[in-house]
Amino acid sequence: MPAELRFHTVHASESPQESKQIEQLLTESDLGWDSRVETFVVCRKGAALVACAGIDRNVVKCVAISPAFRGTSLSLQLGGELLKVAMERGHFHLFLYTKPDNTVFFRGWGFYPLVEVRDKVALMENSPIAIRRYCSDLRALRKHGGKIGCIVMNANPFTLGHRYLADVAAESCDWLHVFIVREEASMFSYAERYELASQGLSHIKNITVHHGSEYIVSRATFPSYFLKGKCTVDQCFTAIDLLLFREHIAPALEITYRYVGTEPACPVTSRYNKDMKHWLETADSRSPSIEVVVVPRITLRGSPISASEVRRLLQNKSLQEIKKLVPETTMRQLISRFGDQRRETEMTDGDDH
Amino acid sequence: MRIITEAVAGSLESSDLLVKVSPSRDKTLEIYVTSDVIEQFGTQIRHVVDDTLKRLAVTDGLIVIEDKGALDYAIRARVQTAVLRGAACKELNWEQLS
Amino acid sequence: MKLRRSMLFLPGSKAAMLSTAFVYKPDCVMFDLEDAVSLREKDSARLMVFHILRTDAYKGIETVVRINPLNTPYGLKDLEAAIRAGADAVRLPKTDCANDIHELDAEVARIEMECGCPIGRTKLLAAIESASGVINAVSIATASKRMIGIALAGFDYVIDMQSQRGDGAKPELFYARCAVLHAARAAGIDAFDVVYSDINDDAGFLKEVELIRHLGFNGKSLIHPRQIELLHNAYAPTEKEVSYSRRVIEAAAKAEKEGVGVIALDGKMIDAPIVSQAQRVLQRAEASGIRR
Repeated sequence: MPAELRFHTVHASESPQESKQIEQLLTESDLGWDSRVETFVVCRKGAALVACAGIDRNVVKCVAISPAFRGTSLSLQLGGELLKVAMERGHFHLFLYTKPDNTVFFRGWGFYPLVEVRDKVALMENSPIAIRRYCSDLRALRKHGGKIGCIVMNANPFTLGHRYLADVAAESCDWLHVFIVREEASMFSYAERYELASQGLSHIKNITVHHGSEYIVSRATFPSYFLKGKCTVDQCFTAIDLLLFREHIAPALEITYRYVGTEPACPVTSRYNKDMKHWLETADSRSPSIEVVVVPRITLRGSPISASEVRRLLQNKSLQEIKKLVPETTMRQLISRFGDQRRETEMTDGDDH
Repeated sequence: MRIITEAVAGSLESSDLLVKVSPSRDKTLEIYVTSDVIEQFGTQIRHVVDDTLKRLAVTDGLIVIEDKGALDYAIRARVQTAVLRGAACKELNWEQLS
Repeated sequence: MKLRRSMLFLPGSKAAMLSTAFVYKPDCVMFDLEDAVSLREKDSARLMVFHILRTDAYKGIETVVRINPLNTPYGLKDLEAAIRAGADAVRLPKTDCANDIHELDAEVARIEMECGCPIGRTKLLAAIESASGVINAVSIATASKRMIGIALAGFDYVIDMQSQRGDGAKPELFYARCAVLHAARAAGIDAFDVVYSDINDDAGFLKEVELIRHLGFNGKSLIHPRQIELLHNAYAPTEKEVSYSRRVIEAAAKAEKEGVGVIALDGKMIDAPIVSQAQRVLQRAEASGIRR
């Protein structure tokens, strides 16, 4: 009756020795080591590591239990411990990646299936109602009838490219829903990005600018999007994000068209756009197809206008150059944020004289 | 009593339950119960949960319960703990808890 | 005369154990709010114990709540929960001197009064876990009318003594056991021995039980239900002891009926302590039969 099983938390970067044991356990369970997982809850019996569960912020993955302990109460203890560790780190709403076959097992941990890529991967969340509540909130903002379009943008920061895309979409739709990616992983904060996009789109009458959420291009639904410098896109993860859109978000708002700009600069986004056609239009799904409309980017002297170009110019302190790429609202913000520092003043001298 | 912060009590283990509470968005009290034995005991579980919340005078919050076949005493204890944690209430009013 | 051979520890936060452990029929059950409960679960465990005590689950079993020390943020709340839920007794950990019991006694009386329960209903047990506690065992044992027993807790004690726990027959607890036991007997209360934590070592456990039974301990704190039956069997009397005790009781009854002041059996005089001893033997036999 006393706890022979001991649970504790391992910080992967601080404990190479334990990390090695965890990796071994994962290998035994056909799982790979995931370098994004910062924290593991592990269970030991005596000296032996018999179970582990990893958390990357609010995403649970790398759950492995030594074969001898499967089907015992250890699993539920592990699930409970994990939840408490996540809570202590301020993560209440959790997501979990697993193989579709294991979703039944994780029901026991209080996780519910959100979306599934057949035979590959399933995304679950630890609430029976969160997605339902989210969609019912969206439904309240739904516009009926005709052609309803949607754009999801990070707008880091909002450029004339974004505005053009929205103009084209709004022109051809009865109503346009725009979502701003909520995750704080960009040069500009979410509040800033949302504000600039709202201002930059205020001239469009048939539009709703929505706050983003954990269900749209977030660390949970699309982890590789936020990996700096790495451009490998795991196809399963784009599938998860896109199927979640198709099966939950689009139906709530009766969206039938999704608009994207062509994306030559960023391989991740480029790949995402390509996958979009597959997962939104042709892939098997319980929900109807959503037509993907690819809009060529507007260009300035032959090169496409993009937020990444704006950020590059900001790095080079070329505020003057940016002027032609962003609407006035964004420019004002850039000047107030970057223009009054001494180094930048030198750079923008040409403008003043 | 109002739920002002997210909180959890209990466990997922057999004979226990996990209670998750979070603030309500629209000042309502919403309760969701899932259970391994919902067919047999769903009504009874819900009755105990409702009664426990009523005694604590919980007016708004979102209460999500994963029941693992807990007895009534455990349901009361875990619901009370989650609510007190979520309401940041440190004082124990034994009348309400009885 | 209450039989207190086994005192089963149950972690206050573990629903599965709280919900089922009565089936093992220990003499006493100790709901633990102290060491077995992590800091983040103190509030939850307290309410679990409060509510299980309010059910009939442990009817017929003496219920004890081990509270956190009163100088922690949990102690008083634990005490409120235990008393208001009607626990038979409260076990105070880390008792070092009589004053610890005086303080506890006053709080218990206050809470009993506040919740309208009969003053004096809640009994006390002191756990002695340090050298000072052992030295002060006599004054601790006699510190309150509520005291029903003192328990030796070996883990902290051996650390305090700069010693370590050996198997059941090692001498590291020798003085403490004797001191606690003498204090208990002098105060007319019960004495409980330490837990034996290697739950898979039945032989070691039984060796230790044999030792403490001979010393005269009423019983032992247990951390696993499988130790209950082993312990009860070891405390069960032999056939010979039972038949002798029956004859002692019969002789005593006969003497009383005949109004004879002196009890005699097989030509020997029997005095009151022998009669109580015989009663205890029969009580143990009634509870767990003859030793196997």
